[in-house]
Amino acid sequence: MLQYTIRRLIGMIPIIFLISVVVFTLAKLMPGDALSGKIDPLNSDPEYIEEMREKMGLNDPIPVQYVRWMGGVVQGDFGDSFVHKRPVMELIGDRLPNTIILGLSALLITYLLAFLMGRYSGRFAYSFGDYLVSGFNYLALAIPSFVAALVAIYVFAINLGWVPASGSIGSGVEAGTLEYYLSKAKHTVLPAIVLGAMATAAYTQFLRNDMIESSRKDYVRTARAKGTKESAIYNKHILRNSIIPIVTLLGFDIANLFGGAIITETIFTYPGIGYLFVESVNARDYSVMMAIAMMLTILTLIGNLVADLLYGLVDPRIRLS
Amino acid sequence: MKKSAFWLLSLLLVMSVFLAACSGGGEKASTEKEPKDDGKASGEVKEGGTVTFGYTQPFKGVLSYAYYEGEDDVNALQFMHEGLVKTNDELQPEPNLADWELSEDKTKLTFKLKQGVKWHDGEELAAEDMEYAWYLIADPTYEGARFANVAMIKGAQEYKDGKADTIEGIKVIDDYTVEVTVTEPSVNLLDNIWSIPEPKHYYGDLTSKEIPDSDQVRKNPIGVGPFKVKNIVPGEMVEFERFDDYWQGKPKLDGVVYKVIDGSLAQGLVQNGEIDVIEAPKDQWEAIKALDNVNPVEADAMSYSYIGFDWGHYDTKKGVVVSDNKKFQNKNLRHAMAHAIDRQAFIDGFANGLGKPLNTPFPSVSWAKIDDSEINQYEYDPEKAKKLLEEAGFVDKDGDGFREDPEGKPFTINFDAMAGAETSEARAQFILQSWQEVGLNAKLNGGSLKDFNLFYDSIEADDSSIETFMGAWGLSPDPDPSGIWLSTDKWNMWRWYSEKSDELIKKGVTFPEDASKDVTEHRQEIYNEWQKLVNDELPIIFFEQRIDPWAINKRVGGVKITPFGTDEFHKWHIVE
Repeated sequence: MLQYTIRRLIGMIPIIFLISVVVFTLAKLMPGDALSGKIDPLNSDPEYIEEMREKMGLNDPIPVQYVRWMGGVVQGDFGDSFVHKRPVMELIGDRLPNTIILGLSALLITYLLAFLMGRYSGRFAYSFGDYLVSGFNYLALAIPSFVAALVAIYVFAINLGWVPASGSIGSGVEAGTLEYYLSKAKHTVLPAIVLGAMATAAYTQFLRNDMIESSRKDYVRTARAKGTKESAIYNKHILRNSIIPIVTLLGFDIANLFGGAIITETIFTYPGIGYLFVESVNARDYSVMMAIAMMLTILTLIGNLVADLLYGLVDPRIRLS
Repeated sequence: MKKSAFWLLSLLLVMSVFLAACSGGGEKASTEKEPKDDGKASGEVKEGGTVTFGYTQPFKGVLSYAYYEGEDDVNALQFMHEGLVKTNDELQPEPNLADWELSEDKTKLTFKLKQGVKWHDGEELAAEDMEYAWYLIADPTYEGARFANVAMIKGAQEYKDGKADTIEGIKVIDDYTVEVTVTEPSVNLLDNIWSIPEPKHYYGDLTSKEIPDSDQVRKNPIGVGPFKVKNIVPGEMVEFERFDDYWQGKPKLDGVVYKVIDGSLAQGLVQNGEIDVIEAPKDQWEAIKALDNVNPVEADAMSYSYIGFDWGHYDTKKGVVVSDNKKFQNKNLRHAMAHAIDRQAFIDGFANGLGKPLNTPFPSVSWAKIDDSEINQYEYDPEKAKKLLEEAGFVDKDGDGFREDPEGKPFTINFDAMAGAETSEARAQFILQSWQEVGLNAKLNGGSLKDFNLFYDSIEADDSSIETFMGAWGLSPDPDPSGIWLSTDKWNMWRWYSEKSDELIKKGVTFPEDASKDVTEHRQEIYNEWQKLVNDELPIIFFEQRIDPWAINKRVGGVKITPFGTDEFHKWHIVE
């Protein structure tokens, strides 16, 4: 297994390299740069813009710019954000906690809902309840997240006033106090529900189908023949087996966790990675944009590896070689 | 798959907010005009309370006037810091933290600071702080965009180039007096020279390059304004609390919260009171205006939009525009294209009436704006447009419904506009159809709108397919048109060359020969002449001047709205 892991990690290097080329090229292909929005005779003049482009090396040949960027990345330095005037890593570091809190809460909600609904649907397959569950799942899948977010805000924040509509923290609370954490939770709950509850379809249907399949297996028939109670069959024998593939999905969720939710974060003005990403794309803040893209790439690759390793761990029938 | 498709869609939505926010274009300094005070609302003035000021773009957190870039940061800065000079209701400079005196030969400017103005950390504001700000901006490592505002100081360029250790033209006389010598006299020196001090004692040994990323700017910035920073949540919120030692007296509010929200939620948040003061998104104005708890205020803005004709290109080597494009040289054609568009209908239809047609590059709030009776109003008149086109020789010879040019060759017009807002496409179609109605074959360049960056990149690069384009400018209080209108200006986007115009613009910033004559009057005369020239020549179709809609919760009083934003923060209060 160790050998396998090392082999996979080495195999990632050329992939990361190729992706870095793609990310860099795509970024450079976008029209404009961080300075092209600065046409403003009041507080910047054309000479300043020229000077800054020269200083930032935007006038150098593209390969030179790539090598310079990559040189920094290898050493863990993603450069400075032009718009924010500070190192990219600090900027991302600032936003990461918010994104992780939101991502984790959303993931918990997804797993919890998916587990409950999947278990029900799997046990009572083709019943009215099952159709209701899959109806909900596909509806949630079909509703664009910005629509869901806006409706949720309108209903729960503006009309009912249960939770605040935007931001990640209330005003006038001191960091570290209980009030602070409550405020944080209050601000996170709505975006987390919007994110989490809308994404249950894959997990629910996965669990349901696996349970239906398992219920036709020989060991289940044996258990029934022995007179085991129906609930014990489902909860003990089938569910345990069916949950295995779900656990492995966890690996794939790693990248999601850190990548943030671009749309949801933006609408809720929740300052996380997704929000930062949109902001940087709009402002053509290349260094930030490329750093986030690279970070997600690497996390996705690692996530895949983790998923494969988990699979080998929980299911002894699968051998990694 | 789901994610990527909607990603695009919502990016568009986000963009529309972004563009709506930046289409004003101009710098929002803490200047003022037209006291549209809503605070006269009935009720008692209550001491204390907190007001939430909303904005629809995340702020970067560069909380120093010398370094900030966008409106997002200046919206926070306005509560906490001020300059020596401010702009009054007539858009003229007025003493704020300092009085000034100009020497006989107009090259020596002496600032005399008020005594007892305190920084938020208790130190007194000193002349050194002003000197320090100039040094920071002229520093060779300075990476902000303000050098143009100190370039006129004698020796600043040498200091920037590393040829001198000090700036020759700056002399601190005593703790409250600083004298600057400028390279040449200019009427709008006070409008242009940098006049916002920076706290020298507080930044300590930081270099000009380090300051924008220092904790002194990002986490605990200080100023001399009515509110001091209490807490900053990056990109999301800044909490301010009252500064009791404020030089104009203790502010009435306990604090202000500057909060970033998503533009699409503006109406709801204003309605439920989460936001008290905000420049409302124009597309929601109808609904916001009608809310029970809102005082709607509409303020003329210092910005205008235009449709530019492409006159030629910019000769980078010579640094001058060359008007070598023959297409729009015919004045009747340009006039006809202006008469063909119903600008009022456009404003009513797409901007909830938040705008007014204008016919010179000066919005009506500017003191230099010429009287409307003296210039052509280019009212909507398709018949007149047709007649003008006939006269110019643009006739439909082959019967396809579109006019050919005087030589009988097909005549098409490419039009460009920025994408982003929901109504962008419809706006562009409105203009195309207006021109088609009078027989001009106008079409969207490349069949689609351009995104903000591509739009300006193509125009600046003199892309040959660009023929007409809709852009906008935000303006500073001083009417001097240079920067956009001189033939040497790179931002003369339409590449219009006119010796007469250059001459008038340059004359507009000189002192009158007769020293007893009022400078403003003298400039007014020159600018009137210039406005008549551009109004008649019509190098661009002046389209509309903007009106900024502000929603202010009825519980808040004393909010002053100016063409550049809000003002008089120390007078804001809660009305019971």
